[in-house]
Amino acid sequence: MEHLTNRIWVLLEHRDGRLKPVSREAVTCAQALAGPLKMSVSLVLLGDHTIEGLTHQVDREYGLEVLAIRTESGAVCTPEIQCEVLRQSIAQEAPYLVLMGHSYQVIDFAPRLAAQLDRAFLSNCLGHEIRDGKLHFIRPVFGGKLHQEMTFLGEPPFIVSIQPGAYSNQILRTEDSPGVVWKDIPPLKQNPGRRVLEIVEEASKKVDLTQASVVVAGGRGLASREKFQLILDLAEVLGASVGASRPPVDGGWLPKEHQIGSSGQTVAPRLYIACGISGAIQHLVGITSSQCIVAINKDPNAPIFNVADYGIVGDVFKVVPLLIELARELRR
Amino acid sequence: MRFLVCLKQVPDKDSRYSLDDSSCWIKEQDLTFETNEADLYALEQALRLKERHGGEVVVLSLGDDRVLKCIKHGLAMGADCAIHLRVPGSGWRDAFATARVMAQAIRRRSVDLVFAGVQSEDLAHAQTGTILAHFLGWPHATIVLEVQVDPDFVTIVVKRELEGNLFERCQLSLPSVLTIQSGPNQPRYPTLKGIMQAKRKEIVTLTPEDLGLRDQDLRATGSRLVPGRLFFPAKKKRTVMLEGSDEEMAGALIEKLRKEAKVL
Ligand SMILES: Cc1cc2nc3c(=O)[nH]c(=O)nc-3n(C[C@H](O)[C@H](O)[C@H](O)COP(=O)(O)OP(=O)(O)OC[C@H]3O[C@@H](n4cnc5c(N)ncnc54)[C@H](O)[C@@H]3O)c2cc1C
Ligand SMILES: Nc1ncnc2c1ncn2[C@@H]1O[C@H](COP(=O)(O)O)[C@@H](O)[C@H]1O
Repeated sequence: MEHLTNRIWVLLEHRDGRLKPVSREAVTCAQALAGPLKMSVSLVLLGDHTIEGLTHQVDREYGLEVLAIRTESGAVCTPEIQCEVLRQSIAQEAPYLVLMGHSYQVIDFAPRLAAQLDRAFLSNCLGHEIRDGKLHFIRPVFGGKLHQEMTFLGEPPFIVSIQPGAYSNQILRTEDSPGVVWKDIPPLKQNPGRRVLEIVEEASKKVDLTQASVVVAGGRGLASREKFQLILDLAEVLGASVGASRPPVDGGWLPKEHQIGSSGQTVAPRLYIACGISGAIQHLVGITSSQCIVAINKDPNAPIFNVADYGIVGDVFKVVPLLIELARELRR
Repeated sequence: MRFLVCLKQVPDKDSRYSLDDSSCWIKEQDLTFETNEADLYALEQALRLKERHGGEVVVLSLGDDRVLKCIKHGLAMGADCAIHLRVPGSGWRDAFATARVMAQAIRRRSVDLVFAGVQSEDLAHAQTGTILAHFLGWPHATIVLEVQVDPDFVTIVVKRELEGNLFERCQLSLPSVLTIQSGPNQPRYPTLKGIMQAKRKEIVTLTPEDLGLRDQDLRATGSRLVPGRLFFPAKKKRTVMLEGSDEEMAGALIEKLRKEAKVL
């Protein structure tokens, strides 16, 4: 990798012919970096022949250079194939920075890709700063209670993923449209180490929280299935739907359909009341479209308070019964 | 079959943090530490596979002597023996460097299946297990909820979580590395008998030098990342924090939701 180009790559993730929102957010990050670093942005799509339509769409939407890497290595790529195709392309084109959204797919292949390139992978960044010409990224640590600034050492390419929701997904179109560069990679042998058997959708649609106008949700702070009843009671008096973070569902306190977050449902209610939920990013991505968020948590530093409109630092077992009582009075 | 489970020690989930003088790390003195939650799910998976198919479960933790608590807890849950990769000090650790040391230790044993957590609760790189697979030259799968060993003991089938209620079933050849996600298989608690038995189980201590690695292979200086300052995040929204007694806060909340936000 001798001739390092002044390019920032953004790997665009897609499913069923559509871009992931977090991929658009990664483009925003790249565009913010390109000016100060005096670099240009290339949008990179990887897939088989079916990516053509999406490639042209992305070209029209952004007016940025698009690199479409086509390979007929089976519709369902395994991380081995993704790594191999990207490793070859990165070694040839030598971008300075490779940006992507911190998605489940990226978790599955990016660490391995970086290790193959003998580079570090800075995961789940939520901001950046350029100081004295040096690029720093910021990432959440300790359950989001603290943020940490990180810097790369050594030679590019630098590989970075960004947290969903950290950057805007608004399209900033540039006028010069350099067009699409197609790159065909001969089919790779499907690595026998890992083989996809099937992809299935599981959670039943019995509980559709996406349309709920009020959601009362409980987290690990509720402590047990029995005590979780408090959440059901509050939901009942408010005429609300019941939601949960992951631990209550893992613990079998209520069915999986109630889980909200990246592995569960996405809600957009008028009012979302989070009780005993810390506010991990995987939960927050499911609630950010809520009009009004209330958080009740005993820890004043819980990250949920960073996104709440109203906050109560207190014990759910004391505060929620009072709310139930007040809501009952209102109904009378 | 021999299963190996990586256990990382992390601060208690409900910890309140303060920064040390360098502002690059937390004050650790006042904290209590526990085993990373996803790793307990990983150990539970391994123990269930052993109960079903026979074999041995080894737990491994990298850190200073503080991580012995984590190792002993793993042994009390039912692991057969342990490896303590003893490295000095604590603080920020690079996933690349950690995986390199682990790979060196694992390579020397005949292990069929390595388990790690999807991510650690403190640094949340979400990388160590996958880089470990790279160093070992084995296949891997991330965000795994269930594991089945095929009757031939040559392959396994795992169920992985994808976004938005999708799941993937895939087959991997052994040996391989899995990163485990929390799910319905709740980790067991150590029994009194388990705790007593754990006292007699073997803990092998290895240092990077024992493994032929130099210090720079594992400390931050050997990595390609420099950790910078830590800070408390700024709020994104102007949150109205309600004050007073529980009764006052509850009353004020209902009032504000009705009159100010008009959502009740
Ligand atoms: C790949 C992946 C996917 C994930 N998908 C999801 C997902 O879809 N949805 C999801 O929610 N999570 C998901 N998670 C898990 C997520 O990272 C967090 O672990 C989880 O959201 C934490 O749930 P919690 O806030 O209920 O628990 P904790 O983080 O343990 O927080 C409990 C909170 O309750 C408070 N508390 C305790 N007792 C009381 C009390 N008596 N009164 C008031 N407050 C109290 C504590 O202060 C704490 O803030 C995923 C993780 C990964 C790695
Ligand atoms: N110091 C360590 N000792 C043992 N296991 C570790 C250590 N660091 C990371 N791991 C394992 O790697 C997983 C992912 O960690 P991370 O890459 O930091 O998110 C953890 O859940 C552990 O299983």
